Amino acid sequence: MWMQSRRDFLVASAAGALALPAGVLLAGPAGKPVDMTIARWAGAKRLSNAQIDEAAGKMTAKAIEALGGMKRFVKRGDVVWIKPNIGWDRKPELAANTNPQIVAALVRLALEAGAKTVKVGDNPVHPAGKTYESSGIAAAAKAAGAKVVYLDKSRFRKAAIGGEIVREIPVYPEIMDCDVVINAPLVKHHVMSTLTMCMKNYLGVVENRQVFHQNLPVCIADITRYMKAAQSRLHLLEGVRVLTGHGPTGGNLADVQVKMTLAAGTDPVALDAWGAELVGKQPSQIGSVVHGQKEGLGTIDYRSLALREIAVS
Amino acid sequence: MSARQIRRGVQIVFLLTFFGLVLLARMAPGGKAMAGVEWFFHFDPLILLATALSAHAVAKAGLLALAVVGLTLVAGRVFCGWICPLGTVHAAAGWLLGRLWPDRKRREHWSSWQLAKYYALVAFLVMAVLGSHWGTLWDPLVLLYRSTAAGLLPGAQWAVEESTTPLAQSDNRAAQAVSKYAAEPAYTFLRDNVFGGVDRQRQAFWGGGLILALFVGLLLLNRYRPRFWCRYLCPLGGLLGLLAWRPLLRRAVRPESCNQCDLCAQGCHGAAAVVPGDQWKPSECFVCLDCTDQCRRDSLAFTWTWPWRREPVVRPVDLSKRAVLGSAVGGLAALMLLRITPEARGRTLNAELIRPPGARPEREFLQRCTGCGVCIQICPTGGLQPAFLEAGLEGLWTPHLLPQIGPCSYNCNLCTQVCPPQAIAPLTLEEKQKLKIGLAAIDVSRCLPYAFGRPCTVCEECCPVPDKAIYLIESTVHVRGGGQQTLKQPQIDPAKCTGCGQCEKMCVLRDRPAIHVSATNESRTSDNQPILGDASPY
Repeated sequence: MWMQSRRDFLVASAAGALALPAGVLLAGPAGKPVDMTIARWAGAKRLSNAQIDEAAGKMTAKAIEALGGMKRFVKRGDVVWIKPNIGWDRKPELAANTNPQIVAALVRLALEAGAKTVKVGDNPVHPAGKTYESSGIAAAAKAAGAKVVYLDKSRFRKAAIGGEIVREIPVYPEIMDCDVVINAPLVKHHVMSTLTMCMKNYLGVVENRQVFHQNLPVCIADITRYMKAAQSRLHLLEGVRVLTGHGPTGGNLADVQVKMTLAAGTDPVALDAWGAELVGKQPSQIGSVVHGQKEGLGTIDYRSLALREIAVS
Repeated sequence: MSARQIRRGVQIVFLLTFFGLVLLARMAPGGKAMAGVEWFFHFDPLILLATALSAHAVAKAGLLALAVVGLTLVAGRVFCGWICPLGTVHAAAGWLLGRLWPDRKRREHWSSWQLAKYYALVAFLVMAVLGSHWGTLWDPLVLLYRSTAAGLLPGAQWAVEESTTPLAQSDNRAAQAVSKYAAEPAYTFLRDNVFGGVDRQRQAFWGGGLILALFVGLLLLNRYRPRFWCRYLCPLGGLLGLLAWRPLLRRAVRPESCNQCDLCAQGCHGAAAVVPGDQWKPSECFVCLDCTDQCRRDSLAFTWTWPWRREPVVRPVDLSKRAVLGSAVGGLAALMLLRITPEARGRTLNAELIRPPGARPEREFLQRCTGCGVCIQICPTGGLQPAFLEAGLEGLWTPHLLPQIGPCSYNCNLCTQVCPPQAIAPLTLEEKQKLKIGLAAIDVSRCLPYAFGRPCTVCEECCPVPDKAIYLIESTVHVRGGGQQTLKQPQIDPAKCTGCGQCEKMCVLRDRPAIHVSATNESRTSDNQPILGDASPY
């Protein structure tokens, strides 16, 4: 499905590409704030792992720029928390964690927009020290100027979520106290929800997340609603490398597909719908997407949004 | 600078080195263990001797202990007085207790109770000959390391975490503001550098209280007699005492100026003289040199001499043959008590005893493991725990994995890199990832999709084996009211499961997980590999 839109996009952008050497193209309705941008790599085809990471960083910057720039989300003096997926002790090539250069690019953008502090952290399943290191995120985020935060197990605090199922769950106060939370997951296969993307990524801000799997769509929606209230408005979904099997842990290169695209936006449901199509699934098959729309957290029909598609090279 | 000041300086350097190595026992960048964290143990002659006797094997680096043997032959128990970190801790405790509860001036002379450590050593060596490494549990370096790793550090961590957490939990912003410049950086520093890093939060060990109580108890004995442990109990002290039978460095008294004031005995650490001023026993002397500082008439001096020279006179250890024989029989009897269990006799297998990856087959493992706790200290998940009775009394304080506390991390082989006597054999990460330490099994009377008709796939999801040792089968279950529901039920592939326990750790049912790892299928012994397949014998 997305192939079709890509073809449309290529045709539509043939002329524009001449006018705009940077490769930034506008496809959405002008004047209205853009809700979602999709960046695709239009540069060299054969890339080394390091080049893929570099391209991911570039696409991130362009996608956020097309969305109206980081200043739209981050005010001067804000404390920003970037929440990538740092779940598993795996190297970036294995697509179990968010690409480190995406995180680094977000850190730089937030700092450029005037953020006082940018913190990066997640609640990994594997030992955090090693996981932060293997994922490459600790080094990349630090180099970009972020404060890499390891979650302190004894500092989780029970919070009343007031969800449909999740009434009370330990959340991490330091995340909740930030002015802005940027959600930066990747598209991964997941045996229960079929895919894990933006909404499911929020499981990293709580403890004892295992209990959610009995009813993932509803629990994920509960957490997403809570996080939305806690200043989490910007989402970036990585489709640079996607994990198509044995997820969400991965570990086999054969399960990884390099798709060289990513999307950013304000609507987690729409982004997740886009992610589902990216790996050839119908968004309507994904329980959390369907339920998220029903709960009013966003729209499953991401094409109905003010959408911009850009090519980056 | 007096001899005493120099000695104290040297002691502090060795003590800090020891504790430094404890704190450095962790993963270095790149997944390797910090190099050299177990090196103190390689200098320990008791570990060298006991391993040689029990396992008929010697780790190459363990030959460094010969340096301490040589030092003792030449200069006596310098190790006890100048190097041994536990000796330093006891000296400090004795000094502190003396300051807190001052006593009349003591005159400390040799007591025949000091022979106890030699008899204990004899018993331990007899046990070692019969293949038990139990005696090294009481080696001073082992004792201090284990007490630090499983008692002191978790205790200190408890105090620090408990004192900083309430404020952060009640109002994190206020806590950050209040403690921004002192408390919070100090807390983070302690967490990351002293308590083993972010993955070792809230560390706790079964029996840690007992280990700590024992340690504190031994320290308190310094109130009764200074250096109580070193004088009466330490088996390594006994071994070094035997080696110091006629050292080249001896204490000489000038009878013409000595007036037998006995000041030299007042501060004597080892109670080495039998009568005031004279009849010095090199086997008890820690060569602390305090007596030469104490003497006001300058009638005491340590001098070098040839081994065949009779002067200055030394008093021998004076072991009684009968008591030595009695101790040997005692060692034999003790071993009998430890080993007349169905498990030690091979009548039963212990399903709950999950040894770390690379652990040798149980008998060989117990021949080597000293219970030092380096593996426990370095395990990033805190899942390696000291056994209390889980491995029988003979396996007291040996490491075993409790996945509910922390699983065996898939990309980690730290414990296999640091075991001083190689009770845990060195393994590369690739070898370790193929090794099985156990097998997970599902309790279908508790597992949600089996027993309660609710979806759950957490164990499958977090299985770290790249091809997943847990797979899901779609099954139809009957639900209340007669209806049917289709659920994914987890099943385990015994050929792929390594027994790491990540599934047990993450199971929703936290009090009694519905997936539980037992030692079944462990690679180290073919005795416990009931499931035929590609489980290769270790």
